[in-house]
Amino acid sequence: MSDFPGRPATTLDSVATYLPEQRVAIEDLAGPLGLTAMQVKMFRRFHGLAEVRVAPDATVVDLLLAAAGRLERLRGREHRVRYVLHARTFPVVVPYPISPPHEVCRRLGLDRAIAFTVTHHACATGLLAIDMAGRLLAGDGDPEALALVLAGEKTFTHDARLLPETSIFGEGASACLVGCSGTRDRLLAYAANQRGDFDDEVAPDDPGPRFQREYPACLGAAMLAAVARAGLRLDQIGLILPHNVNLVSWQRLARKLGFPADQVLLSNVPVLGHIFCADAFVNYQTAVARGMVRPGDRYVVAAAGAARGATFSAMVFEH
Amino acid sequence: MAGTLELRQQVVDSMGMLLPRVLRREVPAVSEDTRLMEELGLTSSSTLELLLELEEELQIQINVEDVDREDFASIGRLADFIAGHTLPAE
Repeated sequence: MSDFPGRPATTLDSVATYLPEQRVAIEDLAGPLGLTAMQVKMFRRFHGLAEVRVAPDATVVDLLLAAAGRLERLRGREHRVRYVLHARTFPVVVPYPISPPHEVCRRLGLDRAIAFTVTHHACATGLLAIDMAGRLLAGDGDPEALALVLAGEKTFTHDARLLPETSIFGEGASACLVGCSGTRDRLLAYAANQRGDFDDEVAPDDPGPRFQREYPACLGAAMLAAVARAGLRLDQIGLILPHNVNLVSWQRLARKLGFPADQVLLSNVPVLGHIFCADAFVNYQTAVARGMVRPGDRYVVAAAGAARGATFSAMVFEH
Repeated sequence: MAGTLELRQQVVDSMGMLLPRVLRREVPAVSEDTRLMEELGLTSSSTLELLLELEEELQIQINVEDVDREDFASIGRLADFIAGHTLPAE
């Protein structure tokens, strides 16, 4: 069953990622991020964060190109790419008039693509971009057409390096070719719940703790909504690909949902940290490389983003 | 069992000293019924800090993977959780 009756399937044609080689232990980030020894200890012990990757000399365009350059199925099909979307946590990451997705198009010869950036769902924007790519391709009606969804950002400001008491960001990038035909990973359902009331200017009663308190229920509800829209039950889901915010929140959420914690792919959290909107795609690659998804398996991709308000999102795919 | 009860009491007894350290302010006398979040204002983060302080103070290792928000409902509930979720000494 699909949540999109009458619409051509949205499929993940192929996924590639780039992770910089340079590793930084979170203890070495204490000084630059202004973390106390206790805060570092808590990040390591409870949040499960140990190190992140960085590429100090690379620009955001370099990161995206490194990921897109590894998309073997893009070669020879450049002319079929109609849309290039950069899914971003932060609305502004480069000075005007630089536009990372346009620069990627120019460098890769994607001269038939319309390029733009997608934001507003913060770290859940990667899922929004997949849905948008699918809708745009479906509207065009060309079964051969493709969209390229890019994700990845620089840890260029304090806000882009640290989510206080929650997570530490790392650098990396993903590139995902989205199609509207074929039998590869097929999108079955998408649920996104936006909560404007978590905006700290709309609700000045210190929404931070309220967001923390309601986060598990909100993200769990989005996941269950997506699973239900796919016509499935949670016990028919073999794997959850999470956003890499931290371990403790996922362990609690898995318990709350009654879902086995060992079927939530958390192994990248300690070694990569939270790679903005690229987490889902990095975790997808890990799952495929380790044989954790077999043909026919259904899995959930889940992410939450908080900036001006909050968004809780989940997608169900069939591998 | 005696060890578990003893540990539980040690957790309760430690609170008078550890809570002012974690909250960075003076804390009035507490009991097992004192609600950590509602009464004392502990946040998600400071509850985790409290666990780390307890580990250090009592020289124990707590199985933190199992801890839920509800376990911080009161000092008594937290003592129950810790008494039942302490890993054997290495």
